[in-house]
Amino acid sequence: MSSGINGRKAMTMNLTGLAFGIMFGAVLGASNLHEYDTIHAMLAFEELDVFFFMGSAILVSAPLLWLLERRGLSTPLGGKLTLSRSMPEKHHLKGGALFGIGWAIAGTCPAPTLVMISSGAWLGLISLPGIFLGLHLREREQKRSLEKLVSVVEDQSAGV
Amino acid sequence: MFDVLPERLPWFVGGPVLGLLIVGLFVVANQPLGASGAYVQTSGLFRRREGVVIWRVWYFVGLFLGGVLATQVLRDPAGFRSGYDALRDVFPLAVTVPLVFGGATLLGYGAAVAGGCTSGHGMCGTAQRSPASMAVTATFMVTAIATTFFLSLVTGGAL
Repeated sequence: MSSGINGRKAMTMNLTGLAFGIMFGAVLGASNLHEYDTIHAMLAFEELDVFFFMGSAILVSAPLLWLLERRGLSTPLGGKLTLSRSMPEKHHLKGGALFGIGWAIAGTCPAPTLVMISSGAWLGLISLPGIFLGLHLREREQKRSLEKLVSVVEDQSAGV
Repeated sequence: MFDVLPERLPWFVGGPVLGLLIVGLFVVANQPLGASGAYVQTSGLFRRREGVVIWRVWYFVGLFLGGVLATQVLRDPAGFRSGYDALRDVFPLAVTVPLVFGGATLLGYGAAVAGGCTSGHGMCGTAQRSPASMAVTATFMVTAIATTFFLSLVTGGAL
């Protein structure tokens, strides 16, 4: 069992996660992003607020993160601030494309789905297990391709 | 309960506040504010996997509680309802339910393949100036807009 400084640090991280979840969830709820109608109106270009919402969030955070990284900020719970930058690969485009189709049909995405449920909209309880199933299907697929790879390697080494 | 929130927080308040939250989690813990990772960890916990990142589960619970705060406490609750008003105006429930479930499954699968969703790639990744996140974001925006257009087409403009 973890105890002492490590245990306290883990608990601080847990409470940090809880606090940021509450704040993020509250902003989504206050902005009505948990409503299918809001997301649908955005994607149909009937109302551009959500584009502006996302854009202004990025416009505020990107320069600040750039500045803090350049200054070599040391974070209390996660060491030195390191932003992750990676180059696009095929799976990014494939995943993004499927995600977009699902997002448009279900009119929700992972974070707003939880707010949808807390707002009392019961169809959120249909969306939630759907998201879990989708994540699970991918996990199973990866596990299988890994097993296949291992068996191929084993066959080859058995043939030698 | 208190009804202090406006009917809808304007984007020029909500967006910048969310931007500061993104920066905040990086400043405190050097972590992105992505939601699909929280789903992965939460399902890992229920399936008793090893190496579950517990704070992501707390974050998952927090998202739900934050929703309660905004929609039930700080605003007069909308009450128990189905949601999806615009979709239900067009389709009967027997179509709406599988549509929502199928769409959610697709977006969950897509998020897992892409390694993130609207929050992880769309906002946090783009804010980190990650080319991969920008590619994911551009891709899902295009397919989502195209899908919405297609849905409008097949419903004769009803949706």
